[in-house]
Amino acid sequence: MNELYAEEGVSDVKTLKDTSEYLRTESMTPNRLQKSRRDEGTSMVLTTTQYLVETINQLQTELDFAKRELEKKRGITSNKVAVFFLIPGTASLILSVILNQQVLSFIGLGLTFWGALFLFVKPVKYVKGSLLDSTAIASYSTLDRMLTDLDYKGRGYYIPPYPKEAFLPQYLRGLKDMVVFLSADGGPEMPSIDEIAKKRFILENPKGICVSPPGMGLLSQFEREIGRTIDGIELSELCQTLPQVVLMNLQLAKELEIKPESKGVRLTVVNSVYKKLYWKEQELQSVLLLGCPLVSAVACALAKSTGKILTISESNVSAKGEKISVFYLFVED
Amino acid sequence: MRFPLSLWDLCLWLAAMAIILLITSELLSSSSEYLGNIVIEKGRLRAAALALGTGFMVTVALRAWQFI
Repeated sequence: MNELYAEEGVSDVKTLKDTSEYLRTESMTPNRLQKSRRDEGTSMVLTTTQYLVETINQLQTELDFAKRELEKKRGITSNKVAVFFLIPGTASLILSVILNQQVLSFIGLGLTFWGALFLFVKPVKYVKGSLLDSTAIASYSTLDRMLTDLDYKGRGYYIPPYPKEAFLPQYLRGLKDMVVFLSADGGPEMPSIDEIAKKRFILENPKGICVSPPGMGLLSQFEREIGRTIDGIELSELCQTLPQVVLMNLQLAKELEIKPESKGVRLTVVNSVYKKLYWKEQELQSVLLLGCPLVSAVACALAKSTGKILTISESNVSAKGEKISVFYLFVED
Repeated sequence: MRFPLSLWDLCLWLAAMAIILLITSELLSSSSEYLGNIVIEKGRLRAAALALGTGFMVTVALRAWQFI
């Protein structure tokens, strides 16, 4: 019976699908069956493995070829257009000098100039906006898992860092990093300077965890666009500058308004590139706690500018995340 | 063999190119619904437009200097 099974296996190995099915049955069969057909099976497995490797190699070659074809068909790059303009342009200019022709020199000048311009004003390498939230989902999901596992139901407190240029002893250097303290129960207690400086993750008194804010990278980008650190910027100035950076320079949203109120700051974002993170299908609780990278970056900027600890006390998100309204509450006065 | 364009010709050419580029740059920088999606180095385009505009102004200044 066993021999018959093995023989059937041999005869069936004709296609890739059959091979994989055969390998699967091979791995699932009991030990006694494997033992009985070891002799016959060894050579056959070697053959099928070889066949699989060859198929994979062949597919890889086909994939590479298809990629190259796609690159070719993706269109004419600006460099090619530039060369197409530059060569006749230069030729025309040379000819105009030789023949002393004004029209030719105008043509040559125009072509050369536009060729050079095409080289100079190359298309910027952009990535699709949907990639931004796709890459962010994993970290939020991880955070969600941690919070669920630790059974933390508190709030996220953005703790402002010390200015980069401020002198601090080696053991306090950790205070220069922006952190978010996720409290276990939402109590008003904040972790001690000592604990933050030690760059600890799980804190015991008060209970909670310290993580890097999701918008920390974006904050650095804001500072690069503004041309200076946010430390010294007044809140009123920041409320005017940040929307410009987000909308004009980085184009992360369609509309953005930062409005100071009595106990905090209200942020309204319309059509943010991170809106998918708020979709109900994602079921991300940490997004409401910390905000999407854009909301988090604004929180970091506000904390850094004012030097006050703040928390997201209110998050109103419209259907499909088109409009996000967040209220940052200053914990300290 | 000499270059067949005079300063006046170059001035005219610079003016035409500068106007084209300055208008294009201005339209692109406005980040409108359609034009804002064009993916080129807008800053560099603006720089080129301004350079041509300045070049034109220099030629105008030279012409004015010749008259004086």
